[in-house]
Amino acid sequence: MPEKLLVENLTHHYPDEYTGESVHALDDVDLSVQEGEFISVVGPSGCGKSTLLNILAGLLPYHVGKVTVDGHMIHGPGPERGVVFQEHAILPWRTVNRNIGHGLEIRGVPKAERDNRVAQFVDLVGLTGFEDKYPHELSGGMKQRTAVARTLCADPEVMLMDEPFAAVDAQTRITLQEELIRISIATKKTIIFITHSVDEAAFLADRCVIFSRRPGRIKAIVDVDIPREERIWGNMNADTRFTSKRDEILHLVREEVSVEHEE
Amino acid sequence: MAVTNTDRSISEAAGRRSTLAQLWRQIIRIDAMNLVILVAVVLVIWTVISATIANPARYLPSPLVVGLSSVDMIYKGLLPSYFGDTMLRLVVGSFIGIVVGVPFGLAVGLNRTVADMFYPILNFFQSVSGIALFPILVIWWGNSDTTVLAVILYTAFFPIAFNVLSGVREVPIRFIQAARTLGASRWQIIKDVLVPGAMPHIATGIRLSIGFGWRAVIAGEMLAGREGLGWMIFSAQDGDNTARVILGMVMIGLTWIVLDHYVLRPFESETIERWGLVQR
Repeated sequence: MPEKLLVENLTHHYPDEYTGESVHALDDVDLSVQEGEFISVVGPSGCGKSTLLNILAGLLPYHVGKVTVDGHMIHGPGPERGVVFQEHAILPWRTVNRNIGHGLEIRGVPKAERDNRVAQFVDLVGLTGFEDKYPHELSGGMKQRTAVARTLCADPEVMLMDEPFAAVDAQTRITLQEELIRISIATKKTIIFITHSVDEAAFLADRCVIFSRRPGRIKAIVDVDIPREERIWGNMNADTRFTSKRDEILHLVREEVSVEHEE
Repeated sequence: MAVTNTDRSISEAAGRRSTLAQLWRQIIRIDAMNLVILVAVVLVIWTVISATIANPARYLPSPLVVGLSSVDMIYKGLLPSYFGDTMLRLVVGSFIGIVVGVPFGLAVGLNRTVADMFYPILNFFQSVSGIALFPILVIWWGNSDTTVLAVILYTAFFPIAFNVLSGVREVPIRFIQAARTLGASRWQIIKDVLVPGAMPHIATGIRLSIGFGWRAVIAGEMLAGREGLGWMIFSAQDGDNTARVILGMVMIGLTWIVLDHYVLRPFESETIERWGLVQR
């Protein structure tokens, strides 16, 4: 399969907001993502995984290393990369429909075609009946469904997700995880999913990238060889293919956390 | 909480289908009745005080006398003319103030450096009330319509410009980033994110601009006008016509209530309240 996204020798420093000291966020990160692959990135808090996502999204300029999508260097945000943020990122003054259609509206797609496309994605994420609601009338889970649909509706090549389910309750989270699997099968998108949850990382991804604590380096990459069609939470906890990978990832992440605590 | 929200959205949906019947039901609603009772009580107390003091015509004419004075003024065409003058000044003054103030605040608020530069200046002028500016304007333009209009413009411009500036800067960066990742241009970000995101501040600014403008019109007409409600009150005091003074005061208060109820509140409930940006 062709390479969709390539990160080479990416190193990043940024000045601390309060002290002004240079923070070494990413150190020599190399990552190659195939088309249609689902990658999760997990690591201790402050490990630079969100910095990586912001660079991939084009929201943070980088100076050392190279990031390419389909062979083109990225500079700034682009329509081939869509982002789902953690929370509070859908626009409160737009209804569900108008949030989901915003990307198409920005591109100048005619209203009739837009309505058509929006309706498909409303259906895909299960928001039928809520099209004309404003975000403040929705639950946390529905807001994130709207955010996912908004990104998908703009039809990006790569979907970048920054802990999108971290702020919803546990029951909703597992439902959203299963639905994301279903959506990934239906849309065949390349997905990079940032999380601090080991269970989530192992459940969702074809390959799980484990970050070291700061400065963020790729510590290990664990393949999770379970067909997406079989990924349902009801089966996973009894499935040794899943539990063994999850424990392996957990062990790798905990090494980083415990090193931090011993210092 | 969820129940209240549902109730509210149901009543809002009904409100949009509003008809004359709906309006009539609203008029005879309990709080409308409360208002009628409250006004009646005030009028009764006013009448009683007026009946017990010496020389009420000089100090506190009864509501009936004030009412008769208004009939007389309407009959002569003076009240409609004065009221029209005043409203025209308010509408023109605050309209220009807002129309210039919104883009100005927006333009200044877009760039952090420019915003930091202008912020203290706007903050300064926002605090110097129109009345404090009056003497210098009279020195420049004398007691003229220009002076009165300049005061209203000045009074209306700064609150809206200052609030738009603050509002634009408080729009969460996440919203802007989300729009950028969807491919929004700078203009689309202004239109789709910054203006609606600053709407709570814009609404406050509009309210302050019109509210301060309304006071400035009256004060301006008192000090430099030759017509309008402010001038009516001022000249009535000169002519010992207390009923007319009170009539002017009542007109000022009633006009504001009507403006608030039919212009400002509907605007706020259709925007910032509908979007859940403010609770009421």
